[in-house]
Amino acid sequence: MNTLNRRDALRLLGLSTLGVTALAACAPDASGGAPQGDTAAKAFGFTSWSLNEEAQKAAVQAIVDGYAGNEGVKITTASFPYNEYLNQVTLKLRGGQLTGAIQLDVAWLGALAAMGKLRDLAAPAAKGGYTEVALSSGQSGGKQLGLPWTTGSIGLIANTALLEKAGVDGVPATVAEFEAALRKVAALDGVIPYAAATKAAQLKDILPWMRTFGSPLLDGDTITVGDEPSVAAVEWYKKLYDAKLIAPDVDRFDARALFAQGKAAFYDDAIIARGVVASQAPDKSLADKMAPLSRPVLKAGDSPQALLWGHVIAVVEGEGADAAADFAAYATSDTATVARFFEQVKLPPTTTAGLADPKVSGDAFTTEWTEKITKTATANPFWRYAGYAQIETAIAEQVQAVLVGDSSAKEALAKATETAKGLQK
Amino acid sequence: MTVTLSASVPTTSARRRKPVNRSRVAAWIAVAVIGLFGLAPVYWLVVTALTPDERAFSFPPSLIPTEITFDHFAKLAENQQLFGYLVNSVIVSVITAVLSVIVSAYMAYAFAKFRYRGRRSLMHLVLASQLFPQALLLVTLYAVFSATGLLGSYTALILSFTTFTLPLCVWMLKGIFDTVPSTLMEAAAIDGASRWRTLHTIALPLAAPGLIAAGLFAFVRAWNDFIFALTLADPARQTLPPGLVHTYLGEFQTAWPDLMAASFVVSLPVIAAFMFLQRYLVGGLTAGAVKG
Repeated sequence: MNTLNRRDALRLLGLSTLGVTALAACAPDASGGAPQGDTAAKAFGFTSWSLNEEAQKAAVQAIVDGYAGNEGVKITTASFPYNEYLNQVTLKLRGGQLTGAIQLDVAWLGALAAMGKLRDLAAPAAKGGYTEVALSSGQSGGKQLGLPWTTGSIGLIANTALLEKAGVDGVPATVAEFEAALRKVAALDGVIPYAAATKAAQLKDILPWMRTFGSPLLDGDTITVGDEPSVAAVEWYKKLYDAKLIAPDVDRFDARALFAQGKAAFYDDAIIARGVVASQAPDKSLADKMAPLSRPVLKAGDSPQALLWGHVIAVVEGEGADAAADFAAYATSDTATVARFFEQVKLPPTTTAGLADPKVSGDAFTTEWTEKITKTATANPFWRYAGYAQIETAIAEQVQAVLVGDSSAKEALAKATETAKGLQK
Repeated sequence: MTVTLSASVPTTSARRRKPVNRSRVAAWIAVAVIGLFGLAPVYWLVVTALTPDERAFSFPPSLIPTEITFDHFAKLAENQQLFGYLVNSVIVSVITAVLSVIVSAYMAYAFAKFRYRGRRSLMHLVLASQLFPQALLLVTLYAVFSATGLLGSYTALILSFTTFTLPLCVWMLKGIFDTVPSTLMEAAAIDGASRWRTLHTIALPLAAPGLIAAGLFAFVRAWNDFIFALTLADPARQTLPPGLVHTYLGEFQTAWPDLMAASFVVSLPVIAAFMFLQRYLVGGLTAGAVKG
């Protein structure tokens, strides 16, 4: 066995360190890094997940190129996958690596607003001609922190051919009529009447039903989940589950697959459902049989509930913010641009002029969706909290416990509320 | 009569029949079950890659494809971006593997063959670094690379991957150096070889299977990483895991058949490397298990 004196040990340590440094330095290096913004007045970054999504990247890049060409500015783009986007943007925003304009899901605005780095875009919002519901999707804490890029909603979609086959007359308007329609569809062989979310990951879809039954979910800062209407909603959901009118282990992807195969009569989705379902459907005429419908109400005269959904463009305060805000206004409110964008990706615009453009108004599905579902859509009240996703999960897990018979609705929602209270920050 | 004879006298084949070795049967069943768990996902990956889009979501799913298409593989050839991700993965993984082997070989030799104050503590410290969740280290490394201007570069990825592979590589190689008889070193010293020469001409060649095993481990670790590659590399330097997610997993839709086809193709280099080097890998992993 050799012995090593301190000098030899240090020499080996030094050599090892040198090796690491030398080899790493030999690696083909990068001069880039995360988007650094630009010190020039007319240069800024644009971060968007759509820039790398097959269905949208060409259309989004065209908007970026169009603005850069018109205004003579340099736009540095960056993109992260949608599922990792919020984490990456949060990390980079906190580290000061992110500047310029950022595409955001409306659900994330509250979490990022808490960091205090987003610019108030009240002035461009006032001039943009946006619809009321669209403007509300970009607001957080009383400020207009995002300009609405596309505004839609999560609503109910029906397969009209299956309804006809089952003998359902007209579109169900109330919860009772809806349940009756489901029972008729249940008589069809191999069809799930309503492919409602029953997996915990997607059971947040029950929140609009809780609102339908009369629960506000949140009153001020008091969580009202567990009140009488929300308990009634969960008990009704459980009734559908026990009667096999909804199926176990279904999330959004499963529901789309079932609907696309003609094995579900109703399911919940966003307005993009038409394109997604059509691409999976063996029946190429299925898109023509899809009809958006207002969520049934508890009693006639109630307002139909729908969850607001959409994208906004926010601007990080700091270098390039003025130009980025101008770009955000252009991308979201220039009528020719938004109409062209709709034509390419079928995401509805957010301005009155954009919605009235023949390219948009001529699309019956979109017009119907906007009129029947988006018009009365409201934001999830929990989005104002950075921990909104955990709050939704806490509720979803307890609702699932009810569905599988592990708990009563009252006990489960009380437990969910206790957990959720600790996440209101 | 015949019936009586055949019933009362055991036949030759019956006499030769060996008693059933129950433990052997149990072992084979266990192997079959484990094999099924391991291979079923691969089978499903290949089936999905070969299934047309509109059939990929058919319900109930079909275990045996009724319709086959090679369109998803053909589309890969047209995607230049995927080739870029592949090149990045190769650069980062190969350099990480080489760097990990070099550094860990010196460290492991120092731990195995020299006696000095703090050796044991230092060894435990190296292993203890494995206890930290890597997600925690990500935030710290992000700040460090940001401050040093390395964020977005290959260097940031290689250094972070090497950080995670070193402890296990050092531990693996120390076990192997422990098995190299010290008398060999002493003989070399008597013949006039310096410590440096002894390490390079005697110890390292003897530890070759271990070096290959350590290198493969580091290569695979770098090849498969998602979150560090996504966070620390800029878009032009992203590797395959974030690249595939970015390309195929969207907000609204996941192109499962395309993703499966791409996953299958990009795993081929790793499969080939394992097939070629597996005898060294097994030898290297077990070499330090028993001290000679």
